[in-house]
Amino acid sequence: MILIIILLLPVITGLFLLLLRNPATVRFIALGSALVNLILTLGLISTVPSTTYTIDSTHFMGTQFTLGYDGISLIMLLLTNLLFPFIILSGFTRAHIKIPVLNFLILFTQSSLIGVFLAQNAFLFYIFWELTLIPVYFILLLWGGENRRAVTLKFFIYTLTGSLFLLFGIIYLYTWTGSLHTTDFSAFNQLHLPADTQTWLFWILFIAFAIKLPIFPFHTWQPSTYTMASKQGVMILAGVMTKMGIYGALRFLFPIVPQGVLFWQNTVITMCLIGVVYASVIAFRQTNIKRLIAFSSMAHISLMAAAMFALNYYSLQGLLFQVISHGVTIVALFYLVHLIQERTGTLELPQMGGLKLAAPNMAILLLMVVLGSIALPLTSGFVGEFLIITGLAKQSIWIAVFGGLTMILGAIYMLYAYQRIMLGDENPALSKIKDVQVIDYLILIPLIAIIFILGVYPQPILNLLEESVNSMQKLLIPANEVVTLFLR
Amino acid sequence: MSAIILLTVFGIIVLYLGFAENKTILAPVAITGLVISMVLSIKDWGLGSKYFHDMMIIDNFSIAFNVSMLIITILIFLFGINYYKRMEHHVAEQYALMIFALTGAFLMTSFSNLIMLFLGIEILSIPLYILAGGKKSSFRSNEASFKYFLLGSFATAFFLFGIALVYGASATFYLPEIKNYIAQFNGHLPPMLMVGLLFILIGVAFKVAVAPFHFWSPDVYEGSPTLVTAFMATVVKTAGFAAFYRLLGMGLLPLPGPLEKTLWVMTMLSLLVGNLAALNQTNFKRLLAYSAIVHTGFMMLAMLSQHDSSASVLLYYTFVYSLATVPLFIIFIHMKRASNGLEELSIFRGLYKQKPWMAVFMTILLMSLAGLPPTAGFLAKYRVFILSISRGYLAISIFAIIMAIIGIYYYFYVLREAFSESNDPNPIEITKLNAALIIVCGVAVLLLGLFVWTVPI
Repeated sequence: MILIIILLLPVITGLFLLLLRNPATVRFIALGSALVNLILTLGLISTVPSTTYTIDSTHFMGTQFTLGYDGISLIMLLLTNLLFPFIILSGFTRAHIKIPVLNFLILFTQSSLIGVFLAQNAFLFYIFWELTLIPVYFILLLWGGENRRAVTLKFFIYTLTGSLFLLFGIIYLYTWTGSLHTTDFSAFNQLHLPADTQTWLFWILFIAFAIKLPIFPFHTWQPSTYTMASKQGVMILAGVMTKMGIYGALRFLFPIVPQGVLFWQNTVITMCLIGVVYASVIAFRQTNIKRLIAFSSMAHISLMAAAMFALNYYSLQGLLFQVISHGVTIVALFYLVHLIQERTGTLELPQMGGLKLAAPNMAILLLMVVLGSIALPLTSGFVGEFLIITGLAKQSIWIAVFGGLTMILGAIYMLYAYQRIMLGDENPALSKIKDVQVIDYLILIPLIAIIFILGVYPQPILNLLEESVNSMQKLLIPANEVVTLFLR
Repeated sequence: MSAIILLTVFGIIVLYLGFAENKTILAPVAITGLVISMVLSIKDWGLGSKYFHDMMIIDNFSIAFNVSMLIITILIFLFGINYYKRMEHHVAEQYALMIFALTGAFLMTSFSNLIMLFLGIEILSIPLYILAGGKKSSFRSNEASFKYFLLGSFATAFFLFGIALVYGASATFYLPEIKNYIAQFNGHLPPMLMVGLLFILIGVAFKVAVAPFHFWSPDVYEGSPTLVTAFMATVVKTAGFAAFYRLLGMGLLPLPGPLEKTLWVMTMLSLLVGNLAALNQTNFKRLLAYSAIVHTGFMMLAMLSQHDSSASVLLYYTFVYSLATVPLFIIFIHMKRASNGLEELSIFRGLYKQKPWMAVFMTILLMSLAGLPPTAGFLAKYRVFILSISRGYLAISIFAIIMAIIGIYYYFYVLREAFSESNDPNPIEITKLNAALIIVCGVAVLLLGLFVWTVPI
């Protein structure tokens, strides 16, 4: 029952918000609903994550409406419900038009994301997967920035292309279940498809996740979409929706097409590493901060995708830790970028500089988030990326070397950008701007606290991850069987 | 049968009511006739009655399709109350002709004899030729009517010629006998029979506007009065597909190799041509015409997959498609009125600002046409893909999926217009009845997508 509440609470609250007029009430109710969801999720995590909750309702779109969770779902659920209160809170600062609609769309996104992470049935998963796109499409279209109409459409078509191939894959798998006539993951996991089928089916399934992540040749929608997206839009996109790609890949690829994964493992890792270097180099050349961070996010995500395909204990643990860490860091980073934009009216690096003199507190906060982003020891990014690099090194030392470039190049372009924003001589154009205010502290302090607490004392999350990685290794048993077969 | 007779009688009654010079009673009378006819149709469910020496078999298949067409026609008539308000003369004829066309459609769903099919197609088509020219003073409308008539007669000629050839070979018009006759050749048909079957298929393909026999549809859709276009795009297409399916299912399946290949090529061409042409359209009616051709391709895919549930999937697809298409045309009518008769896509600008609820329902309807969850259109496409993939047509399914993606582009292009600002917005006026109907259709599209609905036919 608690899963149903977690799933439906946001969207029902959202529908209720549409009836209200007063912006302040709307915001507080939305925030309250997100906080309740966070508390419920934390309660769920504190109980033993072993049960699967099922409702049998064959008349829901002709499928079983099955919700459930394991370790991976829990991590994703935690991330979603952790970030959404901040995302809603970040809408408190600026007067938007149509606040009820905006908050409805955000809460709708939250519900469908939760649905993606809880669905135990591929068809249901697909429905929620597509459903996330619709509110996000409207958030981007109605509240986006410059050139939003063309960019949004491109984003939409791009992601849907992947999704429809996924749909094909799901139907194809469904036909393999034969007389069972089911799309349950549990049935799909038992399929043991022939090896040659797995090799082509891998791409049919993977392309949707590769676009969502995004990894190298499928990334072209990402920088422009991030750049034009509104504050809350980009937070949802970068913070949570990229993780859908990781979750989907873990759910679909490893248990269902393990031989396909093994066959393409090195290809995908290579693509990811190209992405790491490519995105880092391009990030270095950006003059627009938001675009710079978009590319930096792509570099980090590519590293995570590489870790996913390295298929060993450390990399998986690092990957799941990094899911939380990257989500928190990128949301804080994008919040700060928008804060700077709101204060200075620009995103261009050459027009900035000397901001520290006018807004010292902002400079400190940005520094802390930037340090988290470049994975300095004592921040959560370090724990995650260190585990990932360790895992990659077990696969091959060269993969680890190129993966490690994320941290090195990341440090270069992030610190360089920081220097150009904050340091330098006093800038007369920016001397009168306001420093950080209470509402900004409310958002940034908790996020930064999470970054540092997880960096210093990662054990609670790692303990939680123990469960997740174990459950994932359960998923990976077919793959491991193949791996051992292959090595023998 | 009583449903067909009653429908004809009501058609004539409505025609004579035209003398009363009282427009307000026309639609209620016509709708009453349709509702009674629907009740009578449903009463025959499961009976499987035969008429005219087995020339007509009214089975569950035909009843299901008839009821689905009746629902859509009732919807169109309800919208017609407002649409025909401005028209001074000949309103009764409009309703009466649509009822007559519907009678023809009923014959097309229940024939078991090629002559009956021919009669059905003609009874359906001739009122449409007139309806297409409904706006007498409009150049476009006259062009549409004339074009439709010329090309339609051409297709009819092909069709008749095909029947003659098949009769010449097999000495029968009766479909089950033709099926037996074909079966004895084991796939190697004599040329006369082959050509005859091909011509029959071409005739039907013209009616449902499958590429490459689709050239009439954009022009006719554009020129005809919008409500007639809605009727053509939905009811006529449903009737055409019911006839197509019956023709194949009762008589021609399993199709001889060359014919099956021809139909597959036509399917893929419809998907491709419809999409590529739709991408470039700036006129909303033409856009929907091309999108209808794409949907035709999907319906063909369902039909050619030849599975026990093909008929029910086809019914679902046509119904869901019609249910989304009709209200879209109605929204278009209101936008057209607000923008002084323009038909460009840009007339939708400012819709969200003025009538947010209308923009929301337009989103739902377009999403259904594009095949996105949680709407019924998604479920319809999903079922088609389940059919085709489980039958092993993988390459064609992937092709169809790519085509579905392209479709999303132009549907969302329209949507994007609706959600962007307008420079000089004119007030959009909409009656309460039309508003309610649009909302009902939108909700129905959502509910049909959420709760599965199958008719065992």
